[in-house]
Amino acid sequence: MHFRFEIIFDYIPLLLKGAALTIGISALAIVLGSILGLVVSFGKMSTRWYFSWPISGYIHFFRGTPLYVQILIVHFGLVPACIGHTDAIVAAVTALALNSAAYTAEIYRAGIQSIDKGQTEAAQSLGMTSGQTMRFIILPQAVKRMIPAFGNEFIVLIKDSSLVALIAAPELMYWSNVMRGQYLRVWEPYLTAAFIYLILTYSLSKLLGWMEKRGVTG
Amino acid sequence: MGKRLSVLLAAGILIMTMAACGAKSDNSSGSSSESNKNEKVYKFATDAAYAPMEFMDKDKITGFDVEFLKAVMEEAGLEYELKNTGWDAMLTEVESGKTYDAGISSVSITPEREETYDFSIPYFESTNMIMVKEDSTIASAADLKDKKVAVQGATTAETLMAGIMGNDNSNLKRFDSNAVAMLELDSGGVDAVVADIAIVREYMKNNPERKLKGILDTASFGSEFYGILLPAGSELKAKLDPAVTKLLEDGTYTKIYKEWFGEEPNIDNVLNAK
Repeated sequence: MHFRFEIIFDYIPLLLKGAALTIGISALAIVLGSILGLVVSFGKMSTRWYFSWPISGYIHFFRGTPLYVQILIVHFGLVPACIGHTDAIVAAVTALALNSAAYTAEIYRAGIQSIDKGQTEAAQSLGMTSGQTMRFIILPQAVKRMIPAFGNEFIVLIKDSSLVALIAAPELMYWSNVMRGQYLRVWEPYLTAAFIYLILTYSLSKLLGWMEKRGVTG
Repeated sequence: MGKRLSVLLAAGILIMTMAACGAKSDNSSGSSSESNKNEKVYKFATDAAYAPMEFMDKDKITGFDVEFLKAVMEEAGLEYELKNTGWDAMLTEVESGKTYDAGISSVSITPEREETYDFSIPYFESTNMIMVKEDSTIASAADLKDKKVAVQGATTAETLMAGIMGNDNSNLKRFDSNAVAMLELDSGGVDAVVADIAIVREYMKNNPERKLKGILDTASFGSEFYGILLPAGSELKAKLDPAVTKLLEDGTYTKIYKEWFGEEPNIDNVLNAK
């Protein structure tokens, strides 16, 4: 197969611009998704049914339906309902964050519930409130155990962000599609994009590996 | 070090096995196509998501291109089989020419595409149409310059609008399909959609309640011509071209065209297109 490098060089500035947006969208979605996921996990663990039932429904919906469809619903339904018009980048971040929160919530829950009950009892015998126990005793230990699972989730999210090309958010996969359209060639754009995604996910896993090591020893 | 070496070794063995498998399957497909050389069944690929040109009616592929291809292959006396492979798979399959011999999917002939593929002679004249809401002030392609416009990526509408608006203009939004692009117009995310005239008309016909209008601007959007997509150097071209010409001249083409579009085609334009 003949590989045409010259058309890749033609599109490198646009692909890099797209990669920058991919990083931006993914980073925002990771931060928002992690925060929302923590809230959701407390809701799920709540003993009050009017918290735990809707939250369970939320988790079931976002884990049980295709992200492809979620992106369309957010872009054409949720975002126009909130801000009055469609906006691809807002929709992209929202859809990815909502989706990611459903997964991270379960990671938080598993992490928190993996800490021995004795820790809570000990903290409370020292007079800590349940909020203090969570903040100073449980979470610091649980987060260390969660890091590998979070790493997985973030890498999945970066790759999943390629789906937002569907709603014309001009990220990396979008510009690969543009390149494909101009020359009707498949491998040059997609292998180049895959290579850039690989660099992104590899860097992230290195970063998380470093954090894990530092977290365990520090 | 020893561990790293063995990982490398394992990877090497894996790659070699895969390469060997690839070579083997190539051989077997080669010999099987040789054995029934006499009645070769030509395999055509399409992306059947472009009504009324080619689309799925339940589990059957239909549309103008499909009926036209049937007539061409009958005229040329060739056996064929048409499969809905999707757009990307069609492109890679036709480029390699190993499994599929050709593609028919409203593919406009452009110089950039001819760098990779061969095309049959033109068989269809098309132009792009602007679709806007009925109360829009947009009247021509020039009016679109500083508006938000949705197109389907990988179409000539995209190429034309990139020319007018600039390739990296963020107001030019490329969607995966015309269906999503048109939904974006309905949601107010863009001011106009530019697409093939047949697609725009089909959409307006199916959605009269949305109050849309189509604008033709032949000065900015010239005619373009569809061809059958072939691998570079395909021997099939010599068989297809005379059949296409014959159908255009003997009225068969006009008959199929009227069935799908309810109007007369301009045969001379198609025949005289370079």
